[in-house]
Amino acid sequence: MKRLLCYAIAMFALFNHARAEPIITLGASVQETGRLANTGRYYRDGYDLAVRTINERGGVKVGTERYQLALKILDNQSDVNLSVRQYTQLLTQDKVNFLLGPFASDFALADSSASEKYEVPMIEGGGASDQIFSRGYKYIFGTLPVASKYFESTVQAMSKLEPIPKTVALLYADDAFDVAVAKGTRELLQNTGFRITQDERYSSNASDFSTLISQIKAAVPDAVLVAGHETEVLNFIRQAKSLDFSPKLYSFTVGVPTADFRLALGRDGNFAFGMTSWLPSASQKDDYFTNAQMFAEEYKKRFGYEPDYHAASAVADVETFVKAIESAASLDPKKVRDAIARIDFESLYGRVQFSEVGQINLPQTVVQVYSDTVIPIYGPKGFINKPRYPMPPWDKRP
Amino acid sequence: MSLLLQIIVNGILLGGLYSLMALGLALVWGVLNIVNLAHGAFIMLGAYASYYLFTLLNVDPFAALPLCMLVVFACGFVLQRYVLNLIVRAPMFNTLLITFGIDVVLTYLAQIVFSADFRVVNPSYAGANFTLLGTTIPLVRALAFAMAIALTLTVWLVLGHTRLGRAVRACAQNLVAARLYGVEPRTVYALTFAMGAALAGAAGDLYGVVSQINPYIGDPLTAKSFAISIIGGLENPLGVVVGGLFLGILESLTSLYIGSTYTDVASFGVLVLVLITRPRGLLGKTT
Repeated sequence: MKRLLCYAIAMFALFNHARAEPIITLGASVQETGRLANTGRYYRDGYDLAVRTINERGGVKVGTERYQLALKILDNQSDVNLSVRQYTQLLTQDKVNFLLGPFASDFALADSSASEKYEVPMIEGGGASDQIFSRGYKYIFGTLPVASKYFESTVQAMSKLEPIPKTVALLYADDAFDVAVAKGTRELLQNTGFRITQDERYSSNASDFSTLISQIKAAVPDAVLVAGHETEVLNFIRQAKSLDFSPKLYSFTVGVPTADFRLALGRDGNFAFGMTSWLPSASQKDDYFTNAQMFAEEYKKRFGYEPDYHAASAVADVETFVKAIESAASLDPKKVRDAIARIDFESLYGRVQFSEVGQINLPQTVVQVYSDTVIPIYGPKGFINKPRYPMPPWDKRP
Repeated sequence: MSLLLQIIVNGILLGGLYSLMALGLALVWGVLNIVNLAHGAFIMLGAYASYYLFTLLNVDPFAALPLCMLVVFACGFVLQRYVLNLIVRAPMFNTLLITFGIDVVLTYLAQIVFSADFRVVNPSYAGANFTLLGTTIPLVRALAFAMAIALTLTVWLVLGHTRLGRAVRACAQNLVAARLYGVEPRTVYALTFAMGAALAGAAGDLYGVVSQINPYIGDPLTAKSFAISIIGGLENPLGVVVGGLFLGILESLTSLYIGSTYTDVASFGVLVLVLITRPRGLLGKTT
């Protein structure tokens, strides 16, 4: 009787094992806590929603076999050193199959060393600095537009405005991403014929801009371009108002398209220009979410806040792995890496195709906030909507 | 010239806010010999108290000042009475570790309770300003400056001219003698720590009007408060005002003439110089 029971248990275990679908684990270290948690959540939630949805749609087909995706996410507490250790842990102890990226260029810059060392591909949608992709690494791929071209569409739009702004102040934080943005923007402005009145670097996470704003105000530039973080953008706009500084135009690399920005600033956020590599458009088709608009609705329903381009980029990273694994018909990291390099497909985020250095080439759409709405202003085909330009002085604003 | 004047005015107004931030830290450090690394977390709590009073109950942030102070006073009293009092006479390293732990706990609790979203307290007059001698003066910063001076004078008066103030100073100077005269040190310590926390709450209330709030604003504010306390000295609340103004003007001029990335280098460079040349602060005794 005892022997019969053992056989029964063994057969049950064998049967269950045979039925369970094999797993492909994607590992990531993201900022769930710490000073970058506000943006880090887009990656955690974007990865999570993408994995769930892809599994519901049948998972990943590797040759003739179906796999389910699994996600292993660690919280790096917004600490770049911890992040590097966690990626090493994901590869050496947790034995994940592939890596998804963290948020922010300085993190991606450091973390990509782990993927390169262990020759496991990482697709990241959180770091845009050119520096990440200029080291000849083969295993890092990025789905954010090139940092040095962040202001390209803004500068193009500026050159077509009436009256045309002639002088520009450039302000940027001292981290890898913003320094790369400033370097590219400086060249763009000079090549387009704008005169740069100020070219100022400030410390990341600075909270007081009163001196910088007073300096810029004294030089009376027509436009101000700021490459920084969302907290700095909020402080800059509030302090610009309190010092009565209102150029004809100001534009910011981050923050403007987010709901947080509009909620925090209210009417003071009006007229601010920004940029996004993604808009939740129904015309942007996707194999898993049908289209970008439906993705945005699903995301908001599940997590209670609106996705922005960070979240869309995170989803595109997961989808890229799925497409690449299916194309390679293998889980071998080198074969998958080669398949990623060859990939070319339309996603809710846009067309995913990588350059030789491993970075996507997506144009930025210039947006402007007005009346609690993010309005697309200028895209690759020219003006989409008429900008509210020049910005009225603070005391003349509706 | 008008730019220089504007920058100096900016520095003075920034210094006012700095002073208020540092006042509570200096008080606790001077009396209890505790460098409260959770001071910035108390400022953060004050800022959130102000935010919720403003957004949920529509209470103006200046009217909410006493309420914010009261909320953080209560937190400070409980923490001192039931946690820090246990190690108040322990070596400073222990108190540093404990307050560091409290800072981490408060910060992470704040993220769980308030989320990591950025908040601002944005009353209609938040961006208002007026012109004086060709310089633009932000109204809120001017009011914050006035508030900082008023609270400093209040602390100075309380410490120097009230029974509680005398008890506080007695505990700081000679604990045995204070006990012999009937002072109950545990209560005095708790009240002093709570007063420091309440001042942080006041700073947080005003900080939310000029800057953004998130659970992680505390640490840089603790560092700034620490530098101001050293520069101004711990012996006299007015020294904190001098330290705050000095640092505000120094940072503004550094930003103008050298570059804004060097403001922290200047601040902490001066901190080192003060420690070498005047270890008891600018207003402290030289011997």
